[in-house]
Amino acid sequence: MRSLASLVISSSIALFAQGVDPKDLVHPPPDSWLTYHGDYSGRRHSSLTEITPENVAQLKQVWRFQTSQNPAIKATPILVNGILYITTPDNLWAIDARTAKELWHYTHPRNDAFHIGHRGAAVYKDTVYLTTPDCHLIALNAKDGTVKWNVVIADSSKGYWSSNAPLIVGNHVLVGISGDFDNLPGQLKSIDADTGKTQWIFYTTPPPGGTEPESGGATGGQMWMTGTYDPALNLVYVGSGNPTPVLNGKVRPGDNPWTCSIIALNPDTGKLVWGFQVSPHDTHDWDASEVPVLVDADFNGEPRKLLMQASRNGYFFVLDRTNGKNLLTAPFATVNWAKGIDRSGRPIPDPAKEPARDGVLIAPNESGATNYRSPSFDPKTGLLVVSVQDGYGIYFFKPEHGAYGWAGADYGVAGKAFLRAIDYKTGKVVWNHPIGDGAGAAGVLTTETGVTFSGDVPGNVIAFRTSDGTTLWHQAIGKVGNGPITYQLDGKQYLLVGGGSSLYAFALP
Amino acid sequence: MNLLIKISVVTAIAAGSLLAQAKPPAPGQSPASLPPPKTVTPQTYSAEEIQAGEGRFTSQCGFCHGRDAAGGETGPDLTRSALVAQDTRGDKIGPLLKMGRPDRGMPSFELSAVDVGAIVAFIHAQKTKSDTLSGGRRAVDVTDLATGKADAGRRYFNRKGGCSGCHSATGDLAGIASRYQGLQLLQRMLYPSGQPAPALPKVSFTLPEGQTVIAPLSGQDEFTITVLDPAGARQTYSRSTVKFKIEDPMSVHFDQLGKYTDKDMHDVYAYLETLK
Repeated sequence: MRSLASLVISSSIALFAQGVDPKDLVHPPPDSWLTYHGDYSGRRHSSLTEITPENVAQLKQVWRFQTSQNPAIKATPILVNGILYITTPDNLWAIDARTAKELWHYTHPRNDAFHIGHRGAAVYKDTVYLTTPDCHLIALNAKDGTVKWNVVIADSSKGYWSSNAPLIVGNHVLVGISGDFDNLPGQLKSIDADTGKTQWIFYTTPPPGGTEPESGGATGGQMWMTGTYDPALNLVYVGSGNPTPVLNGKVRPGDNPWTCSIIALNPDTGKLVWGFQVSPHDTHDWDASEVPVLVDADFNGEPRKLLMQASRNGYFFVLDRTNGKNLLTAPFATVNWAKGIDRSGRPIPDPAKEPARDGVLIAPNESGATNYRSPSFDPKTGLLVVSVQDGYGIYFFKPEHGAYGWAGADYGVAGKAFLRAIDYKTGKVVWNHPIGDGAGAAGVLTTETGVTFSGDVPGNVIAFRTSDGTTLWHQAIGKVGNGPITYQLDGKQYLLVGGGSSLYAFALP
Repeated sequence: MNLLIKISVVTAIAAGSLLAQAKPPAPGQSPASLPPPKTVTPQTYSAEEIQAGEGRFTSQCGFCHGRDAAGGETGPDLTRSALVAQDTRGDKIGPLLKMGRPDRGMPSFELSAVDVGAIVAFIHAQKTKSDTLSGGRRAVDVTDLATGKADAGRRYFNRKGGCSGCHSATGDLAGIASRYQGLQLLQRMLYPSGQPAPALPKVSFTLPEGQTVIAPLSGQDEFTITVLDPAGARQTYSRSTVKFKIEDPMSVHFDQLGKYTDKDMHDVYAYLETLK
């Protein structure tokens, strides 16, 4: 508990003496979780060492914060100066990390855009940023949740919506939007952190009439997940979504760049520096939005600046992040849609596996070999731990389905969920831990002592040994819908994880 | 018989004229190629209600059921739903929204009566609209699936596919094509699910005294196993405290998904279509 001394001075000064200095984002202190991924690298790896494989089984619940709302928590909490920020669609709570008491609760007015989930808030200086389903970006005072400004980032009446946790780079608030039920250009926006003014817009599928090359007639390629950033190269990396119309590829010939791609942008200009397309001419809804994880490590005996992605299409990619050149492509889940790998490291789609009138059996299914759930990279073992689904779907398309939005039909047939550890040097699966039927919803966290935290399908949070996937601890808390985080507060290491519509804190006794 | 069918039969008897609506489609027709079930009790809604409902529907239901209620990423086409056809001003849709269908992945919704009313109005309006259109945009018609060769399917069923190890054309599959058609038959062939639900996997427990007890599996995770006792009540055991083996015929269906070529799949479907 906070000492009474803090009442002597204004509590707002005590709590908010320092906001988030953009420099802290490069080297986040251990008593924080400042961004969606914890740091810019997207590794979701913590250097904290109090919780170990030997003592993790003694973890006990410290508190539980209940949103008392129907939607599950899918957001990663942000921790700044002892205050946690957690979101659901249209809602943001600031809670005291020591007591789980609510400090304030912001509610965005009711709106009719898709309410399917929300990934979290972002904090810069003393401002908290929230995207809303109806595509507003709202800047709130960190101390009391009052609105500083509120801007529209896309027209939700056209079919855009947002669930995005913004990425803050310098004074740029990078916000992504969703929208593949309609034929809409994919866009990422940079908003001035102080004023709310738009700084630039990057289009994956440029609207017709501009100077940029067009994408073979495709729209789509929404960047709805939070990217990563390399301060030394000053490059932002973001994964882009599938092209639209989704299942009808006939009306959009060619590869449809930059849909289903890993993209490197200059955050100051929004200009494309390089792109690597993981699914050329996608016809299966396999976004490449999964986290582009940044790792500095040896590859083939040479120190490299790497980027790795376990992609929704079932392939694991390692790139040189300075230039986007491919170093490794290997399947990490059941796949049957590619004929091979081309010279540049891209899977070659098998035309026989395009959606057809009489149905085609495809692996993975539409929800993918993995999806939004964050992976984690453990530097000691060189393992990328990923929430995977091996599954099958049947895909249909006939000209009567048209060329707008989904433009076809597909049905998941069956799937099995696993936590799977991939050796980044070879792409080989080192261990594979079944976590239920269908697909998991939890992200992954690894720590320096060799513990991995994630959740299974039935509703347990589980600790695994990172080196071999052995179960070390579990607790039934409801379906884990977010990525677990860890931080140190008052000298103690905490594990925070969402189960259903509650946020749970665990620590050693 | 699931609860909803039970409910619909009760309603049918009460209404005295409904049983015809519940009749399964005639052989050779997929549900999608049939006209959608007719609305039992015609009902009208104001333009304001429908408009308000469109927004509420998009926000709460659209991601799964499609913005037009004609099916989406994970939810079925509501304009062809028997429950919607039998609904009168939300008397069936309302309770369903409140309860959800957790077993099929549909959450429950906390909505005001006004919001439920608006959503109901929109669904009925969409159904009326789609009833007057020819051919659903996302529909898979039974004729679309008719590309396989029944002879080749029979051979695959009896030999390479190994289907005849568990199934028989004159036993459990006799008349299967009269019970299921089109997409539904294909889906049940690939991986049985939906209603009526396939039999639960069987768990055989070995008791300390050496006897074996067999019980249907109703759920499991890495740490516990839940079975139905003879009275039909769920009993959960810690995996580490009991000796057991699970027999799950569905795992064979899952493995088979990795073995079918698309031609095999269409051929076996064509063969099953002959079992009327």
